[in-house]
Amino acid sequence: MNVDLAKLAVDHARGLGAEYAEARVQSDLGHTYTLKNGTPEPVTIETKLGVGVRVIVDGAMGFASTNIIEGERVRSATETAVRTARASKRLLASPIRLSEEESWEDEWDAKMKVDVRNVSAEEKFRLLFTIEKSLVSENVHVSLPSRILVFDEQLTEKAYVNSEGTRLHSFVPRLSLVYYLTAEEPGVGVVQRFRHEAQSRGWEVTSEWKPAEIAAGDAKILGRLLREGRAAPKDELDVVLGPEVTGIVCHESCGHPQEADRILGREAAQAGESYVKPDMLGRRIGTEHVTIIDDPTLPNSYGFYLYDDEGVKAGPRTLIEEGIISDFLQNRETAAELGKKSNGASRSSSYDREPIIRMGNTYMKPGDHSLEELVEGVRHGLYLKNFMEWNIDDRRYNQRYVGLEAYMIENGEITFPVRNPILEITTPGLYSSVDAVGKNMEFSGATCGKGEPMQSAPVWTGGPAIRLRKIHLG
Amino acid sequence: MDPNDVLQQILLTAKKSNVQSTAAGFRRTQKRMVRFSNNSITVTNSWFSEIPTIYLVSDKRRAACVIEQQDREGLGKAVEELATTMRLTPPGDVIFNLPRGPFNYQPVAGTWDEKITTAETELIDAVEVGVNAAKKEGAVRVSGVVTTQTRERYVKTSDGAEGSDRNTEIAMTIRAFVDDDASGQGIALATNFRQFNPEEAGRTAGRIAKLAVNPQTGEAGKYQVVFGPSILASLLGRVGDSASAYSVDLGLSFFQGALKQRVASDALTLADNARLEHAPGSTTLDDEGYPTQENCLIRDGILETYLHTSYTAAKQKAPLTGNARFDAGIGGMTPVPHNLILKPGQDSCDALIDRAHDGLYITNNWYLRFQNYRTGDFSTIIRDGVFRIINGKVVHPVKGLRLSDNMIRILRSIKAMSTERNWIKWWEVNTPTLTPYALADGIGITTANK
Repeated sequence: MNVDLAKLAVDHARGLGAEYAEARVQSDLGHTYTLKNGTPEPVTIETKLGVGVRVIVDGAMGFASTNIIEGERVRSATETAVRTARASKRLLASPIRLSEEESWEDEWDAKMKVDVRNVSAEEKFRLLFTIEKSLVSENVHVSLPSRILVFDEQLTEKAYVNSEGTRLHSFVPRLSLVYYLTAEEPGVGVVQRFRHEAQSRGWEVTSEWKPAEIAAGDAKILGRLLREGRAAPKDELDVVLGPEVTGIVCHESCGHPQEADRILGREAAQAGESYVKPDMLGRRIGTEHVTIIDDPTLPNSYGFYLYDDEGVKAGPRTLIEEGIISDFLQNRETAAELGKKSNGASRSSSYDREPIIRMGNTYMKPGDHSLEELVEGVRHGLYLKNFMEWNIDDRRYNQRYVGLEAYMIENGEITFPVRNPILEITTPGLYSSVDAVGKNMEFSGATCGKGEPMQSAPVWTGGPAIRLRKIHLG
Repeated sequence: MDPNDVLQQILLTAKKSNVQSTAAGFRRTQKRMVRFSNNSITVTNSWFSEIPTIYLVSDKRRAACVIEQQDREGLGKAVEELATTMRLTPPGDVIFNLPRGPFNYQPVAGTWDEKITTAETELIDAVEVGVNAAKKEGAVRVSGVVTTQTRERYVKTSDGAEGSDRNTEIAMTIRAFVDDDASGQGIALATNFRQFNPEEAGRTAGRIAKLAVNPQTGEAGKYQVVFGPSILASLLGRVGDSASAYSVDLGLSFFQGALKQRVASDALTLADNARLEHAPGSTTLDDEGYPTQENCLIRDGILETYLHTSYTAAKQKAPLTGNARFDAGIGGMTPVPHNLILKPGQDSCDALIDRAHDGLYITNNWYLRFQNYRTGDFSTIIRDGVFRIINGKVVHPVKGLRLSDNMIRILRSIKAMSTERNWIKWWEVNTPTLTPYALADGIGITTANK
């Protein structure tokens, strides 16, 4: 990787009058293997390689990129970033500043015990065929007219340089297994299940996922839902959310609203703003059982990184602590505006995207209840184990999760399956209803979308099962 | 980098590697963007890329590759590796050929404006015009984005197809706020500066935001709804996705098994038209080198065709439609609409509101997710001005609502369309869509319960 091109861009920008410059040479190599109803789809390979440079000139910010890896083209891109930033100064309300941060020189990576590049395409398809074989109707007792199985590997290498002396080099392999199952029961209907396992590791992780076993288990459950599922009750009840639902809740209604760029309005025209305002640090939003953390440094995690794309060292940040809003996700621009330090939340999806505030791995801190204990404490309720449909408004206040695998709880025991229960609830309504938190953590892979142009960020969402009191389903 | 050299290199190497059919592509793209929020520019962006694409077909096997590799040696190596990987892949389900050329490609007028290729400060001027127009209507804070795109595309196949085209686009999305609960959105989209109107986009955003001040909390129920062009374009985007024969093949289409059947009310006629002059998505050929055409997807409510690539057409024994697009994700080459065009109706927007009598007027939406792609059950957040209609008049804004319904049911419930149409393309709508307002019946609306 030609780090000299990044250094060239930074030096050139400084020579052109930029008060700050950073550049990133980034390579993303992706392979995708797909099995559709037992038949291979095309192997697709994507190689992205280029240089992105970001500058601050007279208080205005400019970004430019090129995938022509030549000094002259990198100089030209740098000149474009400086020139357009300078031209935009006339519509700048106040100069953009960056928080002061420590400079670093470091190399970091995520390790592969078995290098996925040394595993053949045949072996990768063999993994998918193993799952496919487990889904035959004799085994799962339901018809699966559509089965989409995908193995994806993404290898990202970056060389980062900024004008304050930071020099970083990193390599992260990200492996994913995704499946999409459609089950059908004649005269009853159709249900679908999506699952995403993902880690920053080598090929060795695929056997730990036990995908054939899990997929067959999911398929059997789809059959049971179709045959035995009943309508969700409308009266007041308690709800136990499974780890998969807790994870998406933490991501959507804690991580996103506590991104400082949304709070300050920078994403207003696209993903929106936030119900959280700068003066809400210290405000109670949930019960004392709710502590939510975003930690990109979790080993093997899908959202793993040790330094962000502004060269700031990353670490865990507690966004809600015992029910109280305790921190925002910050980059250097928002930190300067709010009088804080960056907490290393700035990420870019590829060489041609400016870094923006993103989550890494967002989860609820475990408590001390087993799942059985959470359920035992419910007289009349619902266990909403996982979900299909979900969304949340663009201030991250009004959210909806439609359960897939769900069961009634009567007198402390899980009973019959329930079809499509709908939890439609506000953010404080949800967090203020939590009265107990499980102790067993689980994480799911996810791809978070934000920014314009769109940037897809690999993240983990996770947590234990949690219990909500006094809920009405939709 | 000479595009013809790149294409030739790909085809020659593939032939040496004994590949049966190859579609080589090359895209040169220059994009510029100015983002703004709180009435202030937040960043300027500029991107330049040259990207070769490779699609290989041999017997029942396929493989696809996008490679940002600049030298001849690297390109040749990539083709060889892709061919090797393809041979290691178990066979697929269909034997097919790429379209047999040569073809005579007819150009589409009005897709190129030289001025867009060099514009830089003009984008900043557009931001100023849009923001001022929104503020003049009463907006306090204005955010958005102005983007230009210049694209050249070259395609050459081993089956004799060879062609190229180029197009330009300028677009603005502007979102105005009077306060946190009162926002409005405007969109300007054109292939040239002459038809690009940031002032009107700003005015629209500001006017809706001003009307949206002091919303009342809405109530769940079934409503007569007047859909504005932005939300209708978002729903039609999902119709376009489901009309892809590849979505049908994957089992992720709500049009599964619905060919030649009624999927919408007879008020609805929807086409995909890559031949429309001055349209942002117009193009002369697809990525397999097949000439584009107008495809009527839904005529008077009946689903007439799916969109195809060579693979899906062979599998479903259907004619080609000119919609193949190279995709580095699942599928490699998949059918995608170019411009979605909804036939206008005969009513004014006011007449639709009058006909709704007791209902809602919804301008925009965001964050649509399916509960079930096969059945079309979904929900989406409605935003940027949602208004209660009582006795045929817009009486007050409402908030806290979600549209929760079924796609086919909505299409079947459309009763009337306006004469006025708008081009829509923004963060939530990928395919350029020309759409009127529409009146639909019995639309499901839900709210939070706690």
